[in-house]
Amino acid sequence: MSTIVEENTAAAAILRRKRPAPPVWMREPLLHFVVLGAVLFGVDHLLATRAGDPRTIVVDAGVDAQAIKIFKAARGHTPNAEELYALRKVWLDNEVLYREGIALGLDKGDTAIRERVIFKALMTVDANTKLPAFDESTLRKWFESHRNRYDEPARFDFEEAVLAGDRSESTARAFAVALNAGTPGDTEAGLRVFTARPHDNIVQSYGPEFATALEAAPEGEWQALPSREGPRVMRLKSMAPARPAKFEDLGSVVLQDWTDSVMSEQRSEAVRALARKYKVKVSGEK
Amino acid sequence: MKHEFRNKQIALAVAGALSAAAMSAATAGGFGNPIADKGEGTYVTGDFHNHTTCSDGVISMQKLVKKATDKADTPWGLDWFVQAGHGGNGNRNCTLIEDATLATPAYPVALATDGVTALGPNTSWQNSNPSITPKGLVLGTAPNQVMWRWQSIQEYQYPVVEYLAALKNMPLFIGLESVVAGHEHSSMSVISGQIPASIYKQNLPTTPGYSPLGNATALAKWSYCFDRGDTDTSRGNTVVGGAVGNNWDCSVTGSANAADPSWNPTALKLMPASGAGVGDRGHAKTVEAMKWMAQFQPNASYYVPAHLERAGPFNPNGNNGFNIESLRDFNNAAPTVAFGMETQPGHGASDARGEYTVHRNNFGGTIGNVDSVGGTTWGGTGVYGAQIGGVWDALLGEGRNFWFFASSDWHNRGMFGPDDRRSSQDFYPGEYQRTAVMVRKDDDKRGGHFFDAHEKGKSKVLTPNAIVDGLRTGNVWAASGQLIDRLAFVVCADTRINDAIGNALLEAATLIAARENTDVDLDAKCATLGEKLVVRPGSEVVVAITVRDPSGTNYSPYTFSNPSLTQVGITQALNKPVLDHLDVIGGAVTGYKTPGASDYSGEWPRTWISNPDMATVPEGAKNTSAHVVRTFSQGTWKTSFGDKQYKTMVFRLRNVSNSQYLRLRGTNLPAAVPFETDADGNPLADLWTNATAINPTLTGGADGKPAGANLRIPCTTVGTNVPATAVPYTGTAIDGCPAHLPVVNGQKMVAYDVAAWSDLWFYSNPVFIEVKGSTRVAGVE
Repeated sequence: MSTIVEENTAAAAILRRKRPAPPVWMREPLLHFVVLGAVLFGVDHLLATRAGDPRTIVVDAGVDAQAIKIFKAARGHTPNAEELYALRKVWLDNEVLYREGIALGLDKGDTAIRERVIFKALMTVDANTKLPAFDESTLRKWFESHRNRYDEPARFDFEEAVLAGDRSESTARAFAVALNAGTPGDTEAGLRVFTARPHDNIVQSYGPEFATALEAAPEGEWQALPSREGPRVMRLKSMAPARPAKFEDLGSVVLQDWTDSVMSEQRSEAVRALARKYKVKVSGEK
Repeated sequence: MKHEFRNKQIALAVAGALSAAAMSAATAGGFGNPIADKGEGTYVTGDFHNHTTCSDGVISMQKLVKKATDKADTPWGLDWFVQAGHGGNGNRNCTLIEDATLATPAYPVALATDGVTALGPNTSWQNSNPSITPKGLVLGTAPNQVMWRWQSIQEYQYPVVEYLAALKNMPLFIGLESVVAGHEHSSMSVISGQIPASIYKQNLPTTPGYSPLGNATALAKWSYCFDRGDTDTSRGNTVVGGAVGNNWDCSVTGSANAADPSWNPTALKLMPASGAGVGDRGHAKTVEAMKWMAQFQPNASYYVPAHLERAGPFNPNGNNGFNIESLRDFNNAAPTVAFGMETQPGHGASDARGEYTVHRNNFGGTIGNVDSVGGTTWGGTGVYGAQIGGVWDALLGEGRNFWFFASSDWHNRGMFGPDDRRSSQDFYPGEYQRTAVMVRKDDDKRGGHFFDAHEKGKSKVLTPNAIVDGLRTGNVWAASGQLIDRLAFVVCADTRINDAIGNALLEAATLIAARENTDVDLDAKCATLGEKLVVRPGSEVVVAITVRDPSGTNYSPYTFSNPSLTQVGITQALNKPVLDHLDVIGGAVTGYKTPGASDYSGEWPRTWISNPDMATVPEGAKNTSAHVVRTFSQGTWKTSFGDKQYKTMVFRLRNVSNSQYLRLRGTNLPAAVPFETDADGNPLADLWTNATAINPTLTGGADGKPAGANLRIPCTTVGTNVPATAVPYTGTAIDGCPAHLPVVNGQKMVAYDVAAWSDLWFYSNPVFIEVKGSTRVAGVE
């Protein structure tokens, strides 16, 4: 495009020069019309050619290289001249079909093509995102505001002596008594062993009442505890208290998480900025 | 390939030990010959449900066979393989290969008339060179006219499979994923005529073209007669109304046939009318198909409803899913043919695992969209197989021979190319799910389980008979992600093993059997998968189990830690899963239900995903006696001293007074893993790892959800080798959460193949115990 601008600038400079008055025939409107039309045609031709004329198909070395690669993969040898000529014909046919298809809008409404274009557009967006300057205080500040990601919750080791059949409270209590008296934990239906389970997981799996009871239970003692599905015979083995995370111990982890977070925000913001160009209407809403 | 049979050696070793035990046992009684004569056997892994471009897959027959069976390029290579695309029709020629790497002398790269353009498996039949003319009723327009499956099986697909079987010295044959009248789909085959012994003795062609020595005509005829997708009326002839061709007649002896209102006199087959009642009419046709198989191919066919929960419950006015009464009808009509269900579906990496999801199936009118039965899969398995006390337990509780099967249902890789190791849709046969089937050398009654291979050094090739007989026996188990790769499970009752020494002997027997990849073969006092042990009331039985949890890597391309386990503080690479626990599940056998009785039928509750309460399940569809009899884990199983991969368990059931069964399941996930397992170790709904959008029940309704809305498990590992989605990846070392995972609020979430590799299970078929004087286990000899 820059070349055309230069040419147009040069033409303007020529037009600006002082010249003697033109002959009468040069002031003929029809002539002006013809000349102006020719100039416009020429400029249009020039522009169209340089912008990639949609009606011009160039079979270049890149096309040959790709065709040779595919042919070699399929046939196990490099195409000879005759075969290469045929391959070019095939490529040309496909290119014509591709262009005609695009012209007919056949790419519209095709989910696969849509997703592919979205993916490529997202890559372009990503290429324009840039990590801002940061220092340790930036990371520390971000760490503190996200420390729930890093703090180590209290964790509990416990076991369940699985009841076989009857899961009534009385059966569970009797079984717990027997276990505390020395009966092996897998006597009935087996033993489930749980290690390092955090409070949230215990609540989610068994209910809050169970979690409270287990976490308060004396270590090593079998108890019949009330869970969401009925009593369970459990034994708390040990508990590791909660530990707040230390920024110094996390090293590059915080940097990576901060980077991911910032880049994700930038990407979202970039897409939102692009969206501002559009007027969005929800079907059915006024 | 070579199969070795060693369980006679095992039997001898244990028999020797048993003899010693007998001498020391005060209660020793007559034991007879301690070596049962089940025949030497071995477990072989395979797959019977997968697709090529002949139906809706994306690769050729040759590429699929290579992917499924090659033990080098695709290291998961299976021992046996049934290529089984959809019934009905298709317009693409799946016998045309993609590239020169798949070329064989008989089937080289095909070229178009221009001499250079390679014609791949997406080429239509009529655009093939030379052009192929589909036979029978004309459907579609040239050059994309469809070919009926009966023709493609008979004339094109079978010859390729036979040639590859001979070339590779492998048990390959053709099956079908039938489009079922009155229901959705079933995996099936009729093997008569396929893969005769002579194929291994011929000189294979050195130039293009192959003339098969066997045929798949019986399967082709079944496809024409009974597949819902086959609306051809030509009787398997060149043209409708002509006499050149197969001239098939689909009559079933003893049935109404021409007197049936659905009978088409031109087609000479049942062609139920569409509209109201189509489900009922279709089901009746499918029962006729069962009768046909029982009459003409009782020991040379199988029929296994596929992903049978996916399409919702049975719909009398549509072609949807299967209720328990559908399965009972099939098994009653053809007990040696309809002997199981594919309740662990393929499509394991889909955005809706198994393609099961909520509000999936449009039942029309005011009903709107109905869930897959159970809503989603549960740990990758449909609710019929996954729910303790559910449909499978109800069928086993009758004493039926009704077995659990898994399959790949391979079609494509979703957003990836077929050679990529990542997937957002399917896994290749053997890559994720593997079905292990016991094949025996000596118990064949129908013409041989082994052929002599023609390749020097490869002495034996399994026959299709061996595979189908193995499937029928129920001595089958399935595992995902190679969670385990060996299993020996036996239940014994004998006075000579009624003490700790007996326990140790059976432990040893299962350990040796697992090491040799076979089952425990002692005598009638023991039973293994698919068998029954007959005991006196009050007997004591010993249950012994050995599994191998392989120590190497599985076929996952991901080396980062399992995000599901990360939730509970466990660090374990996705490609190195560890068996966490194994459950022994038992239930009572109370006898067959009577057709027409109120407890013969029962639709699984449509509300299951929101209210999974067994009290809502109708009586006919559950077995309330089923429960976890024992659970074993690291603290309670024995790890083999010589090889820590083997875990052995043994326990006793005392005073056995009622007929019952025992089956196994195991997983890499402990109990109480958020969004994966409940507090009892049962799988939770896969809703929480399904990325798919949920449709509203009715158009415009508010109960739909956008894609990703249900995802709950974060995937946080960053990694240094995480290729972009658009960059093909064929390696096995992705060390961070892959780029294709859905992102919710800036966080990658577990879904697709990562969800599947995170959540692994195995299931065994049952061992029955029949107590004399109690209910007879009638379905098992």
